[in-house]
Amino acid sequence: MNLSARMIVVLTAVGLISGSFLSVVGLLTKERIAMNQQLEIQNAISEVLPSTKTSHKVFEDESLTIYESRDENDNPVGFAVYASGTGFQDIITLMYGIDPSFSKIKALTILEQKETPGLGAKITDKTSFLRYWEGRNCEQPLSLRKPAVESPGNLAPSEVNAITGATISSEKVLDIVNLSLERLKEIKQKGQLSSEEKNAT
Amino acid sequence: MDLLTLFVAAILVNNFVLYYFLGICPFLGVSKKIDAAFSMGMAVTFVMTLTAVASWMINHWILIPFGLDYLQIVSFILVIASLVQLVEMFIRKMSPPLYQALGIYLPLITTNCAIMGLALLAALKNYDFIKTVVFGVGSGLGFTLAIVLMSGIREQLDLADVPEPLKGAGIALIVAGIMALAFSGFSGMIK
Amino acid sequence: MPPKKSIGAEYLKGLWNENPVFRQLLGMCPTLAVTNAVINGIAMGLATAFVLILSSLVVSSIKKLIPSQVRIATYIVIIASFVTIADRFLAAFFPPISKALGPYVPLIVVNCIILGRQEAFSSRNSIGRSLIDALGMSTGFILALLLLSSIRELLGSGSFLGHQLLGSWFKPWTIMILPAGAFITLGVLLGIALLIESKTKARSV
Repeated sequence: MNLSARMIVVLTAVGLISGSFLSVVGLLTKERIAMNQQLEIQNAISEVLPSTKTSHKVFEDESLTIYESRDENDNPVGFAVYASGTGFQDIITLMYGIDPSFSKIKALTILEQKETPGLGAKITDKTSFLRYWEGRNCEQPLSLRKPAVESPGNLAPSEVNAITGATISSEKVLDIVNLSLERLKEIKQKGQLSSEEKNAT
Repeated sequence: MDLLTLFVAAILVNNFVLYYFLGICPFLGVSKKIDAAFSMGMAVTFVMTLTAVASWMINHWILIPFGLDYLQIVSFILVIASLVQLVEMFIRKMSPPLYQALGIYLPLITTNCAIMGLALLAALKNYDFIKTVVFGVGSGLGFTLAIVLMSGIREQLDLADVPEPLKGAGIALIVAGIMALAFSGFSGMIK
Repeated sequence: MPPKKSIGAEYLKGLWNENPVFRQLLGMCPTLAVTNAVINGIAMGLATAFVLILSSLVVSSIKKLIPSQVRIATYIVIIASFVTIADRFLAAFFPPISKALGPYVPLIVVNCIILGRQEAFSSRNSIGRSLIDALGMSTGFILALLLLSSIRELLGSGSFLGHQLLGSWFKPWTIMILPAGAFITLGVLLGIALLIESKTKARSV
């Protein structure tokens, strides 16, 4: 066999073997990887809307995904909003729960962030920063309270505490939430929240 | 995120070398002279832009429609390797002066993790075509900025009295650390 | 060609004399990028070891079949296949780690350690020797990652593997977790490695 023929044979053989090997690996892991991603979303939904029994996607585009959630008696619990935007350093991805009439934020959770450890990364702190988001009135855009106050009772109904020393990270979270709230209301007005479909997950 | 933000962020805030730690090998290896560093940076920017286009097409026209996402790593690396070869042959034919300037850096680029990193990050962040290209150009210029600044500092460093064991890579890394610290001052500037 | 080393020396050279990170300055990108926490460093080290060992086994067993003109392309395909397996495995069974490491697992494919060992060693040595060499290099790489990530996690968060070690009196050095801390720590460690090396050389002369 001459050289170029041998080169082609070897490369083709290596390509075919590795290709078929990888397709087996791909098939074996595909389902599990998809399941992991779904599980992550479901966990986040039950975190921001604890009485959720079933949930399904009602809207999705590049920057926003909305899930409608129902409890065990099939009564609407509210909507879980999955949104992302730029933070201090990189993308922040978060999810919050809101009641069906869009008046109160039930809870907020941060899913992905790369803020400064020890400063901006405190946006993931469930005992301080995130706690002050529970039950905020969101009929108007939310605003930031700085310097932060000790107890949630001292905040105005639509105020949230800033993190001391990490105002920008706090502002970025606020911006993502406010922007998505605005879009949420628009989407609802246009009647694009197709809540009658019940392809429950 | 609009395109200008993405572009500026790729150069300053999320700099490929100083934030993502990609392309460290050429960053340490080819940063002793400003001219060489600039040529390397330009070669990387050029190949990065082409890679951004090629990897987006492969990903969105072949891998995703046919559900072949498990072939992503293999196909990206093969595309990059052949792209570098093609660019080298093309430049040698079309523009000998350009080949003189960039030629020797091109083969080094295949194993430059910044190029592979660009293809993977753009796919991971789900950028559309335009964003991928802007991200590619911005990241390339960010790399150029970092490596040129580094070479300027290192030219001065040759005259300084550096402790014997830190000479070479040690002091270069420490300087890179201080540069990373300076660049972290750009964080938060993108609105 | 230098005389054949004993099996033990073949393994041990990866730990110090030819340590991929401290002596050869290879694989710097993952070394810097994922060592902000010990668990990430270990996961990265193991994934790289998996790819390196299996690629060395395959390359050394088919080395006679590969024409030298296409050897690099062949090595790249083999390496990329094992990297894909490692990446899918982590995504399927350890999703949090896979998320924390992000694009750095697929980037093992361009880690110069792996291609370098195939070109410099596995393509011209027996299967057994290539295996020992790959094991030694992997151990050296894992130790380097472990050292760097332990320092960074301990000083940066006061913890080790997520367990808080230092009490509340300790104010974490946030810079150690930031990119700047990675560069500076590795720079200082390289200096220390060279210092030790020159001291031992001076003694043996």
